[in-house]
Amino acid sequence: MVELEKQGVPTVIFTAQAFVKDARQSAKTFGIRNLPLAVVPLPFSNQSGESIRKMVDDGFDQITAGLTRAVSESEAEPEEVAASSESIDCGPMGCELTPHDAFQVREERLIYDGRDLLEACALMNRKFLEYGWGDGFPLVPPTSGNVEAMLQGTRRPPDEVVVVLEPGFGQATVKKIAINAVMAGCLPEHMPVLIAAIKCLAKPEMYLRNKAMSTGPHAPLMVINGPLARTLKINSGTCALGPGAASAVNTVLGRALRLIMMNIGHTYPGISDMDTIGSPTKYSLCVAENESRSPWEPYHVSKGYSQEDSTVTIHFVYGLCELYDFANSVPERLVEVYATATKNVAQLSTGNWVLGRRSDPRYGTQEMEHNFMLICPEHAQVFDKAGWSRKDLQEAMYKAARMPFKTLMLNKESKALDAAHPELRWLYDNPEVLVPVVEVPVCFEIAVVGGNAGRGTYFYGAGGPVTVPIED
Amino acid sequence: MAQLEVLNPVAESEEKNIPPAARPKDFAGKRVGLYWNIKSGGDVALDRVEELLKERFPGITTSRHIGSVGFMMRHLTPGDAERVAQICDMVVGTTND
Repeated sequence: MVELEKQGVPTVIFTAQAFVKDARQSAKTFGIRNLPLAVVPLPFSNQSGESIRKMVDDGFDQITAGLTRAVSESEAEPEEVAASSESIDCGPMGCELTPHDAFQVREERLIYDGRDLLEACALMNRKFLEYGWGDGFPLVPPTSGNVEAMLQGTRRPPDEVVVVLEPGFGQATVKKIAINAVMAGCLPEHMPVLIAAIKCLAKPEMYLRNKAMSTGPHAPLMVINGPLARTLKINSGTCALGPGAASAVNTVLGRALRLIMMNIGHTYPGISDMDTIGSPTKYSLCVAENESRSPWEPYHVSKGYSQEDSTVTIHFVYGLCELYDFANSVPERLVEVYATATKNVAQLSTGNWVLGRRSDPRYGTQEMEHNFMLICPEHAQVFDKAGWSRKDLQEAMYKAARMPFKTLMLNKESKALDAAHPELRWLYDNPEVLVPVVEVPVCFEIAVVGGNAGRGTYFYGAGGPVTVPIED
Repeated sequence: MAQLEVLNPVAESEEKNIPPAARPKDFAGKRVGLYWNIKSGGDVALDRVEELLKERFPGITTSRHIGSVGFMMRHLTPGDAERVAQICDMVVGTTND
């Protein structure tokens, strides 16, 4: 709608009450304060026709006013924002959290007093949470000394803007990255990984805005490859996704990325991150590939990098499912078992390709929906012994991961299919036809991770992964 | 007493400022675009908007639009927006959030 306003066309958009702050913040970051909204009590999805029509009837005066009354460019918060979003809905037994304005605290240096440093640190943690700057776990104080030490981990100057991060268009200076890294518990040698990760997030093909602001539980899965993963002791084996001491580096890297998304990208829960339920994977989700146990070329080599390169791959994922099989030692049977995990229509990405591709109209990017398979070494050996390559496994998965069209469409808007793939309308008359859950075989990303048992992990993905080299 | 001095972790935003479009005084002779991002229920809402607009402002005309790219939600590309801007005087949209 901002694009239309820029072209001189007055607009008004329906917005559910709970999303008013989100809509305002979003329009503001694109440069228009007070974009007119027609606020309705609920989103239109899952509502009956009668209920939707009533909401429109009740809100219709806002439409006419929004299109014909001059729009204020004042910085004052519009009435409907103050009225509609006084608190985040934490449920009847939850806290009544008043949404902060994370941007109101402008001081570059903040001072907290206490009877001793522990008490001052506890106060800092309470205040940072109040401002919305924390993830809920205790934060390491970003003192000047801690931040200076963190900055020693990179040759880049502190004021260099590495990228501008959506959705808030925050300027990711090296110093701000270092501050958030300190808070997460990182060490200076982790800085190059985080700088690569933030570059990954900012790539247009990542379409971060979509994933950061969604009502879905998009979590950035970080996969680290190459020599640096070993140097930094990023866990790729037993319990690689944590928790515990063996995965301590994984934990702080993943945590730092979340804090960076919040405090640099301005992805704040309830303000601009409208995740309906959330996910524990959003706290931290980082792993290294177990390259020494993989029979195949390392994942990053399959993406065009050399074995000596170190890389960060980020793939936003939704939920996950175990790939358990202790019984089979032939690849076809393993694929049959894996395929059952893929046929979950309650997961948004399953078969979503029939509705088109995730697209950022600003950059003309298009993403197919990929899913990330972390295959355990035991299973990888089964495929290798039978002479299967990674590509063979992808193709076998593509053939096996199919479901009836009528099931695939249970929760999909048929008009979206009509718009994206009118040539597939014949499927309406053939509802039992088995349709692949992904668009092409390479939509199954495969890396080898884990310890010694026949248990992997399947991540339902949102869009595609992006890999960048770790340079500095 | 002890004092802890820490640094602010929040990044400054790149400032953008786009003036909103000028609003007409009324709907006389106007063509209203109805934009649906294809999320469920938005089409029903726009059907009702169209009915109410035509009831209250006789002479108004409408046109329906969805974006040319996307999947479970479809977006207007800059080219789409340009085409909509050429034929519509104003736009009502639903994004379902």
